[in-house]
Amino acid sequence: MLEIVILIPLLSGVAAFFLPPRPGRVTLLAAGVLHLAASIAALSGFLPAMLPLYFTLTPLGGLVLVITSFLYCMTAIYTVSYMNEIEMHAEPAFNGSMLLFLTAMSMAAIADHIIVLWIAIEATTLTSAPLILLHKSKGALEAAWKYVLICSVGIALALLSAFFLILAMNQGGVQVPLNYNSLNGVAASLNPLWLKAAFIFAVIGYGTKMGLAPMHTWLPDAHSEAVSPASALLSGALLNCAFLGVYKTHVLLTSAGIGRFSDHILMIFGLFSILVAGVFILHQSDYKRLLAYSSIENMGIIAFGSGLGGLGAIGAVIHMIHHSLIKSSLFLTSGNILLGYGSKQIKQTRGMIRLLPGTAAAFFSGFTAISGLPPFGLVVSELFIILGALRSHHPVAIIIFISGLLLVFSGACRHILPMTFGSTETKADDLLVADRPARLLPSYTLLAVSIFLTFWMPERLWEIIRQAAVLMGGAHG
Amino acid sequence: MTQAIILLTIAVISAPLLSMIIVKVKAWFCGRRGPAWLQNYSTLTKLVQKTPVYSNSTTFIFRLSPVITMAGILTALCLLPIAGRPPLLSFAGDVILLFYLLGLGRFFIISAAMDTASPFEGMGAAREALFGTLAEATVFVVLIFFERLQGGASLASYLGIHTNAGLWGNAGAAAIMIIIALFMVLLTENARVPVDDPTTHLELTMIHEVMVLDHSGPELALIEAGSWLKLFFYSAFIADILCPLRGRPLDFPLFALTVISIYILIGFIESISARYKLNMVPKFILISFALALFALIFSMGASL
Amino acid sequence: MISFADLLLAFVFLSVLVSLASNRLMELVKIMAFQGVIVSIIPLALAHGSGIKAEGWEFLTATLLIKGLIMPMALYIAVKKVANRREVEPYVSYNASIFIGLLITMAASLISHRLSPSMPAADTLLLPAGLTTVGAGFFLMMTRHKAITQVIGYLMLENGIYLLGTAMARKTHFQHILEFGVLLDLLAGVMIMGIILYHINRTFDDVDTGILRSLKD
Repeated sequence: MLEIVILIPLLSGVAAFFLPPRPGRVTLLAAGVLHLAASIAALSGFLPAMLPLYFTLTPLGGLVLVITSFLYCMTAIYTVSYMNEIEMHAEPAFNGSMLLFLTAMSMAAIADHIIVLWIAIEATTLTSAPLILLHKSKGALEAAWKYVLICSVGIALALLSAFFLILAMNQGGVQVPLNYNSLNGVAASLNPLWLKAAFIFAVIGYGTKMGLAPMHTWLPDAHSEAVSPASALLSGALLNCAFLGVYKTHVLLTSAGIGRFSDHILMIFGLFSILVAGVFILHQSDYKRLLAYSSIENMGIIAFGSGLGGLGAIGAVIHMIHHSLIKSSLFLTSGNILLGYGSKQIKQTRGMIRLLPGTAAAFFSGFTAISGLPPFGLVVSELFIILGALRSHHPVAIIIFISGLLLVFSGACRHILPMTFGSTETKADDLLVADRPARLLPSYTLLAVSIFLTFWMPERLWEIIRQAAVLMGGAHG
Repeated sequence: MTQAIILLTIAVISAPLLSMIIVKVKAWFCGRRGPAWLQNYSTLTKLVQKTPVYSNSTTFIFRLSPVITMAGILTALCLLPIAGRPPLLSFAGDVILLFYLLGLGRFFIISAAMDTASPFEGMGAAREALFGTLAEATVFVVLIFFERLQGGASLASYLGIHTNAGLWGNAGAAAIMIIIALFMVLLTENARVPVDDPTTHLELTMIHEVMVLDHSGPELALIEAGSWLKLFFYSAFIADILCPLRGRPLDFPLFALTVISIYILIGFIESISARYKLNMVPKFILISFALALFALIFSMGASL
Repeated sequence: MISFADLLLAFVFLSVLVSLASNRLMELVKIMAFQGVIVSIIPLALAHGSGIKAEGWEFLTATLLIKGLIMPMALYIAVKKVANRREVEPYVSYNASIFIGLLITMAASLISHRLSPSMPAADTLLLPAGLTTVGAGFFLMMTRHKAITQVIGYLMLENGIYLLGTAMARKTHFQHILEFGVLLDLLAGVMIMGIILYHINRTFDDVDTGILRSLKD
């Protein structure tokens, strides 16, 4: 039964609220491992859904599920070591929220019913808000408030999108269950006007959650103020789940034969997000915010790729996988930096290579990876997207896309290079916490997986990626 | 014709009595018995018997203004269909005349207040002029609304007197907004709470009352009676819209009941709410304007 | 004669207008309670007593309870407990707000006029009322300082979405979908809880999101 990926974290999450810290950490880890096993089994097709009306494992949903699960495991390992270093006054609440957050994300990944998906995305907001609020500092409170408020508005608009979808059904005289799977089959007879309206509201609603500019304003705050393990999940896993909401509506429009409309909207939002991220990265003084803006950029790339179709759509799916791996690795590393220096300011965290060599190596390789340099996977996906754009004749879009990437790269270089190699007055004794293998291993593993997938993509995985891309009018090549 | 004259006479005679309803409602809220029902008539009799006193600084305008105000409001009443019956006078464009007759009355009261050269009265005059001007905007949006809906340019046609087709059938929900807007205008124009407090005793906070401080004797009686008539005018106007009048004998008690309820409502509002800060009053009037405009938008939306 | 639904919708417009002009937090809370009650009985008024099935009644009662009683009560407690200054404190003056409310209404009636041919034949005022309420809710959220007023704006947005849903609800599925709209109240409830429990004023002395402005670029 597919639903087990929801049940495992749900039950253990509720339990974790009542467990003392130490057993709580064990639960955190154990549930993660179990969940990963279940997810891989699900992706391999061993777990058919018990409620096929509500839950189906779509290709992209399966990918998102496994990525989420894997990231969660890595984060859990990291968290156990991280918790030893900081004063966490509400650890049971943290453990419970992490697991419930995983529950909500798993639900979003496998949900296929319009309303179940909507509820799942709403639940991710509710379960992740405590993770941001955990510091109880002024900044955390502000970030959590913005996060809940803006995402609530987004989710309200996404409900409107669901209304329009159903109106499109009524107007087209279609009588099928309300899940995307059955709707795709009858997409051609849906009313196109209301379908388009539904897509616009889905992009605005779920796009808010996904961090597309100009609805992104909550994202840098939330990602920088959350505790680092939570940031890794927010950035690496949650954004994908929100993308699913946009993706499924996009697929619906593609099957209805009006994919060009959604293509253009996605491309515009994508390019705009890349540019906005590029501009804001230039003058960033906080490295976690810098990473958050980079997430906005990458979500823009994914949206742009999805809009291109063809090779671009394959690129978008690959990009999603690698971005999740690399970005969560970076956020976990940034947690180490924060522990070591006790500051999120770029100016005060210079010269890591001498003070925190292990962290510096992970951070700098992560930076190389996120900038789209070999040997990491983003180079492949970005090439796919550029090729896709060339094939579908979008010269202006390519120019904006590439210059956006360069802008982000140069902006990030300005900050990351001094952080890694710059000279500093800080002595090794001034560091608050030294490197620990348990906090480095997850980052390295995530990066290693990215390299691994670049050079050897399992046949089955490639097939799933191709299927996901075909659904949104991709993959001819 | 005879019917119109009789109705008009009844209206003029009963207006002071109706005003007592407000006073009685307020007294009831305070747990008092309040003045006698006929108190307003006694006040009028007393004032008429007194000799007026004039300040040295006043000119003929000061003496002229109460008379003109009273004449204006009486003429306006002649144009108003009472209880859905055809009014004494009715012609195309009488709505414009009607509201400008009321405006003329206000103009002269303001002029008289300025004429006394008292700083307090000038202040009150300025406020009255501002609020009156703002309320006029609402009134004219309401008139445009009626024009679009009922056609013609006379109050009788607006109220559907001859066609027996009231506002309700045509306008639907918009009629409610219009009625609320008109009620807000009523409160503003007649210096009732929450725009102005007729019982206040501090000149600084007064609007309407401060302007008539220097009037005395029969002239004050004219002004008082004029304000009662004006209140009746607006109440009757709203009651005409509110009641489904069909030209049956039943109309009269129905109409009377509606007018009395409006007075009770005014008394109720005065008892439970305080007046606004002066800078909040334009906001209040603006709401009435917006409401009337809402109604207009919807009536236009239907015919776009 | 005027239909009962039209009467209710006129009151929705009135509540939107008054909320834009309102300068007291408590007054706003009362308006929201009023609006919540009106909005939740509109489907009933539209049904003309015929289309409501047994399960429909339960849902309507629940909506009425949540929108008309529970949420306003929560807001009331939040205002009582947390707000020191009971003024609304807008970024845009009240008069300008009313004018913008007018513009929103005009836009709403234009849009609904465009859309109405392809909509199920519902009440003609329902669609503009929904759009206006959504627009005004957005406007309140954007132009008022305090956390509580932002939540109130959100509730209004949500009422508007409920109205829009009702406007489209003519056939299958919709009753169920509308029911899920109630989940949005959950989010709003969490926000109010956040204000009460986390005391956005304990850390900042007041529920003023104007102070929540340190994180920006």
